[in-house]
Amino acid sequence: MLAALVAAFAPASASPSATDDRVIDNVTGRASSSFTATKALTRVFENADGTTYEFPTNTVTVSASETENLRGRQRITISWTGAQPSGGRASNPYGEKGLQQEYPVVILQCRGRDDASLPPEKQVRPETCWTASVAQRSQIARSEAEATWTHDRLATPADKERVSGMVPFPTKETCPTADQDPFFTRLTPFVASSGKTFKTYEACDSTRMAPEAAVDAAFPPAEIAAFTDSDGAGSVEYEVRSDVENESLGCNHKVECSIVVIPINGLSCDKPAEPATIADSACRKGGRFAPGSSNFSNEGVDQAVSPALWWSASNWANRFSIPVTFGLPPDTCDILDPRPPTGFYGSELLAQASLQWSPAYCLDKKRFKFQHNQMSDEAGWNLMESGGGAAAIVSSKHQRRGDDPVGYAPTAVTGFSIGYVIDRPDNAGEFTDLRLNARLIAKLMTQSYLGSDLGRGHPGIGDNPLGIMNDPEFIALNPGLSQISQEAGAALLSLSNSSDVIEQLTDYIAHDNAAMDFVNGKPDRWGMKVNPSYKKIKLPRTEWPLLDDFIPETENECRQNNPAVYFTQLAAPVTALRKIAEALLDGWPNVQTRCEVDLGTGGYKLGRVDRQSFGARFMLGVVSLGDVERYGLRSASLETSSGDYVAPSDESLAAAVALAKQEKDDEPFVLDQGEVRKSGKAYPGTMIVYTAAKLASLPAEDAAKVAQFIRVATTEGQRTGTGNGELPAGFLPIKKSGVTAKLYDEAQRVAAAVEKQAPTPTAAPSSDTPPPDGGGGTTVTSVPSSAPSADLPSVAPTATASAAPTESPATEPVAMPETQAVSSDLGGRLLPGLLVLGLLGVALASAVRFFVQPPPGPRP
Amino acid sequence: MLSSAGTMIGLVCLWVVTQMLFLSGFSQERAQDLLYTQFREDIAAATASIGPTTPPGEPVALLSIPRLRMSQVVVEGTASGDTLAGPGHLRKTVLPGQVGTSVVMGRAVTYGGPFGELDRLVVGDEIRVVMAQGEVSFDVVNVRRAGDPYSQPLAPGAARLTLQTAEGDGRLAALTPDEVLYVDADAPKGFVPPAGLPASVPTPELVMQRDTGAFPLLALHLALLLAATLGVVAARQRWSAALVWVVAAPVALALAWSTTDVVMRLLPNVM
Repeated sequence: MLAALVAAFAPASASPSATDDRVIDNVTGRASSSFTATKALTRVFENADGTTYEFPTNTVTVSASETENLRGRQRITISWTGAQPSGGRASNPYGEKGLQQEYPVVILQCRGRDDASLPPEKQVRPETCWTASVAQRSQIARSEAEATWTHDRLATPADKERVSGMVPFPTKETCPTADQDPFFTRLTPFVASSGKTFKTYEACDSTRMAPEAAVDAAFPPAEIAAFTDSDGAGSVEYEVRSDVENESLGCNHKVECSIVVIPINGLSCDKPAEPATIADSACRKGGRFAPGSSNFSNEGVDQAVSPALWWSASNWANRFSIPVTFGLPPDTCDILDPRPPTGFYGSELLAQASLQWSPAYCLDKKRFKFQHNQMSDEAGWNLMESGGGAAAIVSSKHQRRGDDPVGYAPTAVTGFSIGYVIDRPDNAGEFTDLRLNARLIAKLMTQSYLGSDLGRGHPGIGDNPLGIMNDPEFIALNPGLSQISQEAGAALLSLSNSSDVIEQLTDYIAHDNAAMDFVNGKPDRWGMKVNPSYKKIKLPRTEWPLLDDFIPETENECRQNNPAVYFTQLAAPVTALRKIAEALLDGWPNVQTRCEVDLGTGGYKLGRVDRQSFGARFMLGVVSLGDVERYGLRSASLETSSGDYVAPSDESLAAAVALAKQEKDDEPFVLDQGEVRKSGKAYPGTMIVYTAAKLASLPAEDAAKVAQFIRVATTEGQRTGTGNGELPAGFLPIKKSGVTAKLYDEAQRVAAAVEKQAPTPTAAPSSDTPPPDGGGGTTVTSVPSSAPSADLPSVAPTATASAAPTESPATEPVAMPETQAVSSDLGGRLLPGLLVLGLLGVALASAVRFFVQPPPGPRP
Repeated sequence: MLSSAGTMIGLVCLWVVTQMLFLSGFSQERAQDLLYTQFREDIAAATASIGPTTPPGEPVALLSIPRLRMSQVVVEGTASGDTLAGPGHLRKTVLPGQVGTSVVMGRAVTYGGPFGELDRLVVGDEIRVVMAQGEVSFDVVNVRRAGDPYSQPLAPGAARLTLQTAEGDGRLAALTPDEVLYVDADAPKGFVPPAGLPASVPTPELVMQRDTGAFPLLALHLALLLAATLGVVAARQRWSAALVWVVAAPVALALAWSTTDVVMRLLPNVM
């Protein structure tokens, strides 16, 4: 009987090739490791007479896009076919909110592997599966009608008891509500792993849960009860958590974990009592919602087909365990390599590549310890020029302030995109095909949408749409979306600091005539006008300013007490692309318009709005392609020539690289947005990331490191994959041949030049030479080019070594330049001058008194 | 009329010369006294500055040259106004006694002329420095003027102290300090300086430079002098000469003194 249940069980081994039904994002998706398994699931009732009744078998195939070297918060695509169609779908399927559904597919992250040969603590069990709430784990004090698990056909006799789940069962002190006769309770404790010890949380109320499961924890729940479409297929972007995000779950590169997928197929029921009890008939229920229907009002569902009993023996037996491995944690190098790091400073575009690359350097004793410190391109550039950093990571040409020449070595090809999370109306899932043009982006960036009725009073643009979802231009481009306006629809979450990304994005706008006409004050076809504060703003620019100063007049007392520029609250730019990616991941716009009473002080405070609710999410943000791939975000297709919309992909990035031109050696390649527009195939957000380093006066040690980095990054670092030192998804590999050959050649050339460190005529004096006395003295001449520098001592020892071998070379005097003359005429002439003038004055006075005007004699 | 004009010119010029050469010595000595006390307390309390962020005018080191029987507290900053109180430390260099080259500028003639006798130093003379991190003894390695070669490059870990002042030549040498005199002194081992040294300082802090920013202040002082003069004229019509003398003389003296102090800021900083 048991064998019949799990009849056709295909080997659940990871298959190396990508499967056909796998859903890949539209961006450069390269699956290095995928998983597919098939299982036949059958619901079986045991009849009173001992016979069995079998439902039709569902043959379910589950696949996962990526299973190796996962990183914290990475999203992988899990898709399935052949499952029972879901009914009563919740608008938010995550965590506790997804419980009131029928026949969903429960996906959980669990510690351990599904391998009978492993020791018990390394096996996956319901006790090692993470859930963020008690209701997902335990059934506390249920009436008999809600105790269907006690009639599970596969459950052991102990599990059919009135209270079960833990031996010994927790006492009244620990779990006061758990054991109340005649109610039924089933606990699924959670076994946390913190290092080597295992702590068990009873999961009988919210205080007996792991700390990460606290209400309103930092991360929203990742476990999901996903719905299956009426054709039996479904897919979901599942977010995995490493021990950085969830220490109790504790998945990392050493602790093996699995993603457990449990298609809820309905409980199998044991032999009913005579006559059948309430629980017997409850176990045999088949759901009250029609397939495909929604359960917006959160009504109760039939427990036997709900996700709440995923741990029940017959549901658990239907599981698919996807073994996953985690990559090295981001702090690997800090822990394992005691050497001081060599800092490379700059662009965040390289962040995901740096994360994978750095262990390949620090764990290899022959290489240096590479550290990428993310900051704005300009700040990184300045640090590199001032000698504070070995090299800068930038993606466009920067103004040189020092005398030393700088070489740009192409290191990676990636870019930015307009990431989005938009839900289709009526619970129809996420929108996956957003198209945007330059004018729509310009409208968002110039803060020309009103946000809400508060913006209606803005002088000059009071008739504009509230958000991009109400803009007829957007609706024509992306039909079928909800037009209920949200404040987040008025903003493109962007960077507050100077960045090459903003420069390229604004350059894209600047090359679009329609967009520039709009920015320069011409209303669009539907009468929408540009915000006067941004009218005729100069483009492109590296930093996007917040220019609006409109403070709405309102009856709202809180807003009256906190007058703030409304459009700035809507835009609220952030400092890092990663923050934008995480905001999209959480569906949590950075709109700062929440205004509420502060209970602590009794005053009012402003803050960030709530997370958007599932089914009604609408948010746009500028993200890097590396983040898009790691977090499983979606990228909008951007318009190039009219009617052509290009999404980021290997092909469109390569087409853009083919257009990039270099004017001179050592300089960066320039991507002309005008040509991108003409080509119609190139992605406008393509950016080449360079390692920029000084070609002179860089210390030899640093020069060798930079050259090594450029060489390793452009060869070994361009192999795609998820392992250490490999190139993550979201980057186009630079190869010796093809369109990227010119980048490869240039990188090798610059690496050689950096290593060589050309001597320059204006070598800066090193610290052990006398300082330029006076420097800006009145008559000082410029320092001669033969100023003492490091090359002088190297001459002395070779010249004297043979002539005077007994004499230490160190004592041999070095020819030093002459002291410059600094003098001041004022200093030389002032005192004598004053003295002479003073004496002359006295003499004059005396002379006048004695000779011109005779001294008065005694009066007659 | 001509007579009073001559008298006034004579009075003003000779007062300035007298104060620069002689009277200012008193104020400098007093400033040194106060600085010495402050620096002693700082050292005792271990709060003396070691770093590049000392506010100008604060004491940073005690410099003594046994051969000249000279001992001066070095203040931070080398603008003309700072060197009135004592030798000033060039802010873009490390402090005296720290690894690297430190530059200290002092006046040669005016305001006590603390560095007036530097030309008597010869190679091998000792210069002692007490600073926040300890005591360092330097040996003079080079006394150079325009055209002389620089001293040898500094060995790693060594400290160099370069004293800069002005000197004149010819018969009126003592009154014509117009050329810069450098004295380099080396110590084999210095203290570790903190990071963050500024790459440059404002022009008035370089050797032989003047601080033209003091012009507005000078205008104010001259206006006050004018007001005092008018006040004296007015008072003379009402009160007796003796009374006016008693009241006006201290005011006039104080104003003249402080006006000269401002004038000094417009003159080269090592004069």
